[in-house]
Amino acid sequence: MKAMRRKMVFAGALAPAVMGIPGRGQAQASNYYKDKIVNINVAGGPSGGHTRYARLIQPYLQKHIGAREVRITNMPGGGGLKAANYIWRAKPDGLQIFFGNVSTLILAPLAGSPGATFDSTKLTYLGRATSEPRVLAVGGKSAIQSIQDVQKLKRPFVYPSQGTDEDFYTMAVLADAFGFKVKAVTGYEGNADTALAVIKGDGDGHITGWSESLGPIRSGDKHPILMVTSQKSPDFPYIPVVTEIAPAPKRATARAMANILETHRSYIGPPGMDPQAVAAFRAAVTAALKDPALLEETRKGERPVAPMEGARQQKVIEEITRASASLSPILKAAVKEIQ
Amino acid sequence: MLEAITSGLAALLTPQAILFMFVGVVYGLVIGILPGLGGVVAMALLLPFTYGFEIAATLALLLGAHIATIWGDSVTSILFSVPGSAKGLALCFDGYPMTKQGQAQRALSASATGALMGGLIGAVFLALCIPLIRPIILALGPSEYLMMALWGLTVIATFSQGSLMKGLIASVLGVLVAFIGMDVVTATPRFTFGSEFLMDGISFPVAMIGLFAVSEMMKLAIKGTPIVDRTLVQETSTVWQGVKDAFSHWWLVVRSSFLGLWIGVLPGVGASVAGLAAYAQAAQTSKTPERFGKGAVEGVIAPDATMGANEGGGLMPTLAFGIPGGESMAILLVAFIGLGVVPGPDMLTKNLDLVFSMVWIIVIANVLVTLIGLGITPWLARLPSLQANLMVPIVLSVCFVGAYATRSRIEDVLVAAVFGVLGYVMDKYHYSRANFVIGMVLAIMIERNLHISLTLYGRDFLLDRPIALAMLVFVVVTAALPFIRNWRRERARAAARPQGGAA
Repeated sequence: MKAMRRKMVFAGALAPAVMGIPGRGQAQASNYYKDKIVNINVAGGPSGGHTRYARLIQPYLQKHIGAREVRITNMPGGGGLKAANYIWRAKPDGLQIFFGNVSTLILAPLAGSPGATFDSTKLTYLGRATSEPRVLAVGGKSAIQSIQDVQKLKRPFVYPSQGTDEDFYTMAVLADAFGFKVKAVTGYEGNADTALAVIKGDGDGHITGWSESLGPIRSGDKHPILMVTSQKSPDFPYIPVVTEIAPAPKRATARAMANILETHRSYIGPPGMDPQAVAAFRAAVTAALKDPALLEETRKGERPVAPMEGARQQKVIEEITRASASLSPILKAAVKEIQ
Repeated sequence: MLEAITSGLAALLTPQAILFMFVGVVYGLVIGILPGLGGVVAMALLLPFTYGFEIAATLALLLGAHIATIWGDSVTSILFSVPGSAKGLALCFDGYPMTKQGQAQRALSASATGALMGGLIGAVFLALCIPLIRPIILALGPSEYLMMALWGLTVIATFSQGSLMKGLIASVLGVLVAFIGMDVVTATPRFTFGSEFLMDGISFPVAMIGLFAVSEMMKLAIKGTPIVDRTLVQETSTVWQGVKDAFSHWWLVVRSSFLGLWIGVLPGVGASVAGLAAYAQAAQTSKTPERFGKGAVEGVIAPDATMGANEGGGLMPTLAFGIPGGESMAILLVAFIGLGVVPGPDMLTKNLDLVFSMVWIIVIANVLVTLIGLGITPWLARLPSLQANLMVPIVLSVCFVGAYATRSRIEDVLVAAVFGVLGYVMDKYHYSRANFVIGMVLAIMIERNLHISLTLYGRDFLLDRPIALAMLVFVVVTAALPFIRNWRRERARAAARPQGGAA
């Protein structure tokens, strides 16, 4: 049975970069984490998207890591910064792991957020679980039908916002790239609130994860006008992609932003994490995200995973952080605007 | 539609669904009774166990647990002045004085019956309003939420008898505490003094545990007597009396239930505001508002009816738009997706039987909670007569564990202790703790919605929003009513005096 399961794991492989090592990794995982309790600190409340994914993957992670227990703890606060600060100071024994949005960890220091007390390049990246495309959508009844319509607006684009989260920063970068003005209306409490504002027409549009907007887009309550990704979605080829249509001089900035957003939901350990724990955890994440039973669950619930192996992710993050320095003044100006 | 109604019920009649409903309700009652833990935690803890079962059974487990926490919260508020969570707060105002007067059974059963009636009205309304849900939600916005919060503020006057100045000072103190943390408008730290812990603000349930529960226990420890000394105060009430109270105040129940539905439809307006607004409405429309805060049974029935009905209302945005009306509904959304059901407008057409299953769950869970509640009330009512040396350590330990459990932060235990001392001092010098909490709950809500209204619609936003304007008129009228009534009474008395003198 176990052999068959392993065969299925191989058969369902998604990321070719890591082929060949899961077997060994799994053995390491069961040795290092055997009889230990791993705490996954989710950077969000119990009802949020991060928790949803953390809980979805948890049983498979526990199966492949061989720990006595994989616990999920919610650590909401500061838009994910609290959990990140906590992991930055945690003991590097691999028993305290962060699960949440990496883009916040890169963007907050770039925007000069006083809440970020960590260096995102020094954290230990253990594997990405999802990379959900972020989409700019307007209300279904809005006169705006494309990003060109936004550029032609004779007034600022009204953007209902929850505060300085990654979508707020993304909007600032889009406004800079396409040369339009944004009026950010802060004070909204959560995506439900901003979504209703857009559907009602109180706001022009907002940015969310694709899965959060999918329902309203299908029902016609929202209309997508731009994907903030590096390539087109094969399922929705009619939605333009920022990296293709941004004006040429600003394309590099747009690409940096898209790359940051694509880092998305990941497992992260403290800086200088025990190398044995790193290898074991990375292997377990890779194996869990290929588990056919998990893939079946994600398919049924329309919650796709998009794994990236930890070692590769570590390099990507360093490159992204270096390339994103140009974003800093744009983000800082946007924050100043609402203060 | 009729077919959806019957098939919705039939899905709940399987052995699995019946068992899950019962388990959910009992579990919800226990979680509700523990301070600091409410419906959100109850559902979040259950969520991992819900995969792979029947859809209706899973929803029965989750919704049943959530509904049961409402009355669970009320129990500790009434008996010990320990609000189980933010929404149980309004029950402390009159429920606890009733307990001290030997009316615990009446208060508990009135609260359970009120919640049942509210829940039933909410469920029926949800079923009737399915076609109207979308236009209703689209008609409401930040300006209407602002008016709702302003209405909550008017209740400050109710708790300021004796000294309006002291009442206002207490409220302002609450506002200041609410402002600790990240500013919701400018996203900058406010009153945090560089502390990471304070960046997330003072947790509302933790502050309440301190202000009400810890300070009450301090009082008991100092006095050395039980909450209710049976040698001085006998339990004079019966369960039946409370049930009768809820029915005889049927109009109050109906009004409160509609209020609960209304608040449920507004996403972002929490159940804690629902309880307070219900209390404000009950006090202001009462012919004898001076009884409120001293053990008026209406002050127990109204918040419970509102919170019972709030469930039905809270489901509406979740079902109509796939947008959760609150945190508990967001968890329900997770469960839906886990079960392969995508909420949104399709729910109201393709999955209508599932919607009716939920309506039935609300009805059945409410009936179950009330039956269990009425059954255990005589035993629960004996708890406040426990000796102080037994009661204080038990309640204090539960409170501090609850404070920790709220956010898993040890600093919150300290916060509960500090607020305990603050609550004790405030009570001793007659600064209303209720006003403090009202200031704390409503400050951020007013800040958020006033800012959004001003930014979106400009300074004259009320002229753009007729519903908000109508709500403002309503707020002014209901706030003025007690004063007008007093003035009339005074005038009548003054008019009667010279006549009497002449005779």
